[in-house]
Amino acid sequence: MALEWEQTLKDVISEVLETMFFAMVEFGESGGRELPFEYESEIHLLNHKGRICISLRVSEEFARMITANFLGVEENQVDDDDLKDSLKELANMVGGGYHALKNDAEWRLGIPGVWRIGPEYMSMNQCVPPLDFAFFGEPAGSAVLNYVPGRVEDREIIPN
Amino acid sequence: MSYNVLIVDDSKSMRKVMLKTLQLSGFELGECLEASNGQEALDILDGRWIDLILSDVHMPVMDGIGFIRSLREQDICRDTPVVFVTTEANQDRLKQLMDLGASGYIRKPFRPEDIRALLNRIMGETNGFRMGTDVEGCDF
Repeated sequence: MALEWEQTLKDVISEVLETMFFAMVEFGESGGRELPFEYESEIHLLNHKGRICISLRVSEEFARMITANFLGVEENQVDDDDLKDSLKELANMVGGGYHALKNDAEWRLGIPGVWRIGPEYMSMNQCVPPLDFAFFGEPAGSAVLNYVPGRVEDREIIPN
Repeated sequence: MSYNVLIVDDSKSMRKVMLKTLQLSGFELGECLEASNGQEALDILDGRWIDLILSDVHMPVMDGIGFIRSLREQDICRDTPVVFVTTEANQDRLKQLMDLGASGYIRKPFRPEDIRALLNRIMGETNGFRMGTDVEGCDF
């Protein structure tokens, strides 16, 4: 049975991908194996006691396709900056959507980040089984949510 | 009549999407300016006529709350509608934006018709403005 956060994250990812990136994905099981994805975008929800890290890893092919959809251009017109910027925006919207459904005023949304990852990459969220998703049967990406307890400084929670 | 718009967002992609959404919504665009944060927006606005500002909330350097606070405190573009397009979910923060003088906000992810409906209301109130209603098949 899916944990509450898993279902919430699935709902949010589906809504964001369908509404802004015109892509419908299906969630499935990967059996805990690490799939080879090329990009990771991440966003944190923060409060004074810790942070919730949401990481999204996607294949380059899927990233290029959703970026083209998002910007309304052909895939061959998508450059690396567009791709990374769109993936950051994807993380931003997923984080915001998760925050909205969590409905807890104590949490603040951080600024998203994105980077290219290699096959040997191990993220801090490695210990949590990822939620894998596919696009027309092909592995497209995975998502993982992890809670990291520990004091978070005010300057991180309250921008400016 | 065309409208000068300032789009404030640290994401270049999001600025492109906002612009495309306005164009596809039948919004008569005049000059469209872009800024990547609140401070850059304030610099651009200095002495320039803008009819509508669309802004993100979460931005580095100066966020949306700092931006609208400065805008209203410095009496820049006093009557210019400011609409926030944001992932912000905290109702207190959204109320704060409205209290500081925002004309409205739209949560991301959004549909083009959401933007159109809000701008019809806001710009209609200020300029007797009405956007086209046919956005079916828009490919943005």
